[in-house]
Amino acid sequence: MPNLPRRSRLIVPLRSGHTIHLFLAALTLFAISANAAEVIPATPSAYFNDYAGVVSKEAASRFNEQLAQFERDTSDQVVVAVFPKMQSDSDIADYTQRVAQAWGVGQKERRNGVVLFVFIEDRKMFIQVGYGLEGALPDATTFDITERHMKPLFRAGNYEAGLATGIDLICKAIRGEYKGSGKTAAGGGGVFSLLPFIIFIIVLIIISRVIRKAGGYGYSSRGGGPVFIPSGGGWSSGGGSSSGGGFSGFGGGGGSFGGGGAGSSW
Amino acid sequence: MNKFALGCGVLIAILLFVVVVAAIAIGGSYNRLVRLQQAVDQSWAQVQNVYQRRADLIPNLVNTVSGAANFEKSTLVEVTNARASVGRVQLDPNKAPTDAAQLQQFQAAQGQLSNALSRLLLVSERYPELKANQNFLSLQAQLEGTENRISVERGNFNKTVQDYNVAVRSFPTNLIAGMLGFPPKPFFTAQPGAEKPPPVQFNFGSPAPAPAATAAP
Repeated sequence: MPNLPRRSRLIVPLRSGHTIHLFLAALTLFAISANAAEVIPATPSAYFNDYAGVVSKEAASRFNEQLAQFERDTSDQVVVAVFPKMQSDSDIADYTQRVAQAWGVGQKERRNGVVLFVFIEDRKMFIQVGYGLEGALPDATTFDITERHMKPLFRAGNYEAGLATGIDLICKAIRGEYKGSGKTAAGGGGVFSLLPFIIFIIVLIIISRVIRKAGGYGYSSRGGGPVFIPSGGGWSSGGGSSSGGGFSGFGGGGGSFGGGGAGSSW
Repeated sequence: MNKFALGCGVLIAILLFVVVVAAIAIGGSYNRLVRLQQAVDQSWAQVQNVYQRRADLIPNLVNTVSGAANFEKSTLVEVTNARASVGRVQLDPNKAPTDAAQLQQFQAAQGQLSNALSRLLLVSERYPELKANQNFLSLQAQLEGTENRISVERGNFNKTVQDYNVAVRSFPTNLIAGMLGFPPKPFFTAQPGAEKPPPVQFNFGSPAPAPAATAAP
């Protein structure tokens, strides 16, 4: 009981003025911790992603189709991501390497992915090159693309032209490094990729027939035997392999990045 | 008598069962340790690979820079010496080091080269002739890219070593690791002095201050 007055004395000054200080301190702490945290953005679903809204819708879908077609032609995945701001305190080279690695751009075995990052408010850009394309797109080339071709256009505020130039030059530089397979990782691959699946189903049907003929198993009395119904899993359905129109989705193939590439600030 | 024989049989069966289970457990742990060790060795090879790449760029860089009129000789000499000392601390590129002191020595030599290189690049900023030289600019981009690669591969190496060390030290794998010779492995640490912020000096007239040891190797 003698404790009670002391406690109430403690509470009173807090209420009068210190609460605000405490609140402010908590806010600052929160701000600091929020600042220190690094955000890895979610894997995009398109090749060209303008999160900052600097290019027109038509241009965005044109770029997207261009990059999708590029993957069909060469099997190399080039992804562009335009962010308003960098959500990390790290160096741009480190941060974008982690993001590109997390997105898994490029095929797993060929590791043939490239990501062009642009951070509008930071006025910085960086081209991350996957292991498999370091030969076709050496650092000096990526630096040349950002520094001599994109930077002047960005400086003039012409983001659309700058991005178009960047995409063109990246594609030109890596064209021919791999032979194209005529499909994207997200898009279906025609009949042949279904062939093993179809064979599997036929074998299942034959087995079930044989079992039914042999008789004696409990479940054959249902009359159908085990029937396997494909539920659509197993491949992603992001646009056809020979799509003329429509949206071409991007699907990362598990490519990996070793920090190759270069960037500029404007 | 019959009961005795039955008891013996049961005992033998139990013993056999225990032995088989133990063998499977040991075999599984052993295979797992081997796999983790392979991952460590592979990432170590990558680390060596990117350091080698940097070392290979240096003669070219030195040639290009020394072509510039009266380029400061001391920085060039420093880079050349640092590269030579890196060459002396050669570790097996196919097997990750098990000796912490050895790795420390390797890291120190590479860190010295990093410092010398960043000083060279800093000094070269004062030569407009170099900044207009296409060859130099391309070398500079390659060097920066290589430093990025080094930090990525060092990070990957540390990650694989951590996985390996956790497996080696945790029960019950640690018993097997001790018997079969899987010692814990050292990893890269931050450069001594990296925790201190670099001194900032605003005397633009005088020669550029030597950059403090950076976090990058």
